Amino acid sequence: MTATARTNRTLTLGERAAFLTEKAKEVRSRILSMIFKAKSGHPGGALSAADIVTALYFDILRVDPANPRWPDRDRFLLSKGHACPVLYTCLAMRGYFGLEHLDTLRQFESILQGHPIRKTPGIDMTTGSLGHGLSIGLGMALDGKLRGKDYDVYVMLGDGEINEGHVWEAAMAAAKYKADNLIAIVDRNRLQMDGCCDDIMPMGDIAAKFKAFGWKTFEIDGHDMAQILRTIGKARRVRGRPACIVADTVKGKGVSYMEDRFEWHGKCPDADQLTCAMKEIWGEDS
Amino acid sequence: MRPHAMTPATVPTRRAFSERMAEYGAIDGDFVVFEADIGYSTFSHLFGDKYPERYFNMGIAEGNMVSAAAGMAADGRTAVASSYGVFITMRALESVRTFVCYPDLNVKFLSSHGGFTPAIDGVTHQATEDIANMTTLPNMKVLVPADTWASRKLFDVAIETPGPVFVRLMRDPILDLYEPGDPFRMGGSHVVIEGTDVTIVSYGDIVFEAIGAAGILAKNGIRAEVIDMYSVKPFDREGLLKSLDKTGALVVAENHQRRNGLGYELSNFCLKNKVVPFENLGLEDTFAESGSYGKLLEKYGLSRARIAEAAKRILGRV
Repeated sequence: MTATARTNRTLTLGERAAFLTEKAKEVRSRILSMIFKAKSGHPGGALSAADIVTALYFDILRVDPANPRWPDRDRFLLSKGHACPVLYTCLAMRGYFGLEHLDTLRQFESILQGHPIRKTPGIDMTTGSLGHGLSIGLGMALDGKLRGKDYDVYVMLGDGEINEGHVWEAAMAAAKYKADNLIAIVDRNRLQMDGCCDDIMPMGDIAAKFKAFGWKTFEIDGHDMAQILRTIGKARRVRGRPACIVADTVKGKGVSYMEDRFEWHGKCPDADQLTCAMKEIWGEDS
Repeated sequence: MRPHAMTPATVPTRRAFSERMAEYGAIDGDFVVFEADIGYSTFSHLFGDKYPERYFNMGIAEGNMVSAAAGMAADGRTAVASSYGVFITMRALESVRTFVCYPDLNVKFLSSHGGFTPAIDGVTHQATEDIANMTTLPNMKVLVPADTWASRKLFDVAIETPGPVFVRLMRDPILDLYEPGDPFRMGGSHVVIEGTDVTIVSYGDIVFEAIGAAGILAKNGIRAEVIDMYSVKPFDREGLLKSLDKTGALVVAENHQRRNGLGYELSNFCLKNKVVPFENLGLEDTFAESGSYGKLLEKYGLSRARIAEAAKRILGRV
C-alpha cells in the first residue's frame, strides 16, 4: 500500500471490499484485545464503526503515517470519541505508532488516552466531548478552502451524539459555507448509553434533518464494504454543499452477545467472553 | 512617565481593538475572524468589510463558532473569535476549554461588554464572572486594556503570544490614559500614579476609579500608588512586589465578582510572598442590574469614593 495516495485504485470494487472485510476482522479483534487488557473502554460503538473506519484508513483517506501533519492529508475526526479503540487500532495498523501501544489504552502516561487527543500521532483534534466534532471539522474544511487545498474532512458522529444542539449549529453553518469538502458519517447503531435512541431521545429521520439544513444525504448499510466505498466516493464528488452519510450499523457488530445490547456501550469482556468473541470474528465456529 | 493628562476617549476599547484587528488583516494574510452576529457591536465588521473571505459570521451560535475557530486554527492559522463576554465565557466555555485551551491553539478572544460596562443592558449581558472562568483555564492568558492605545497594543500582544488569549473589552468609551508609544507586554503592568502609602491595583474601566480614589486620598494626605494590571494572567509579580515594598498595603478593585477574580489571585500571592493589609472590592456574591454605569459603580462598591474608603480602612485612617 502506498503511503500517501487514496489507495487501491487498480483493484476492482469487489477486490477492495474483500480486502477491507479481512482487515476489519483484524481491527475488531485488536479492539477487543486492547479493551480487555485495559479492563476499560467502549466496545459497542467501536465495533459498530469498525467497518467504516477500516474503509477510511485502508482505502479512502489520503494520509501519510510517516508524516502525520502532512498539510495535504485528508482529515478524520472521530467525534464520537469514546469509540477511539477503533481509531487507535487503525492508526497503529497503518504505522502511525507501534502496535505495542495498543496494550496501553487508558493507562497512565500512555499516548492512547481515554478519549482522542492531538498528542497522539495521526489524531487531528481532541474529540470525545460529544457534539463538537462537526464544528471542528467545518473549521478544518474552511481552512482547506481558504488555502486552496483539495483535502477532504470526514467527521464520524454517533446517532446519540446528535442529540447535542451544537451539531445542528454546525450543520447550518456548513451549508451556509457550501463546505463540499466536509463529509459527515452518522454511525446509526440506534443505541445510546442509557438505552435505545428512540426511547432516550428519538431523532426521527436523520437524513431528512440534514437534508433540510441543505446537505446532500445518503443512507447505507454501514457494514457493507462495497456500499461504504461506493457511497463515500459519491459523497466526495458532491459540489456546492456538504454531504452526510447515515450508516445503519449494529452496536457490538461481529460479537453475537454484544450485538444490539446497550450494556456493551462501555463494558469490558472477561477472558472467556474474549475467547468466544475472537472465534466469532475469525469465523472459527462456522 | 506618569501621569499623562487624561482625555475623554472617542471610541470604546471594543472598537479600538477591532480597528487594530482590521489593520492586522494586511499584515497576516492567513489571519481569520469569527463572529456570532454582533459584528456591528463588537466592531469586528471593520475586519469583515476589508476581508470578507476571511470573516466568518456563524450566526447566533457561539459554541459552534469557537469549535470551528479551533478547527480553523488546528494547522497553525491564527483566529479571533468575537462575541460578548457572557457568551464566550459561559455558553461556549466547553469549546474554549477543551478545543482551544487543551490543544493550546492560536485562538484569541475579542470579548466585549466586560464586567457591568453594558450597564443598561442588564445582567444577561454583563460578564461579571468572565475573569474567573478564563483565568482558571490552563494555557489561557487574560488581558484587559483600559483605553484606546492599550487596546491596540494588547491586540498585538495577543497575536504575538502563542496559544489562546482572552481580551476583555468595554461597551462604552471612558477616558484615554496612555499615549502612542507606551509599551505593553504579556505579564506587564503600568504604575499610572506613583505613591508610597497604599497600592491600588485594578484593570480595565476600574483603573479610572482607582485614579479618582488616589485623588481623594491625596486630599487626606495619603499617597496612593495606582497600578493598571492590564495583564491579569499572567500578572506582574515583580511589579506588584516592588510596589508593596514601598507601600505595604493593597487594595484590589475590579468590575467582576469579588470571588475568583484578580483580587483572589493577588491575595493568595501575598499570603505566600508578602503579607500586607488587604482589601478586595468587587461584586459581593450578587448580580448587578440595569442602570447607568455610574449608579452601578456606586451601588456595587466600585466608585472612587468606595475605593478610597477601603484604602483608608486598611490603613486605619477612617
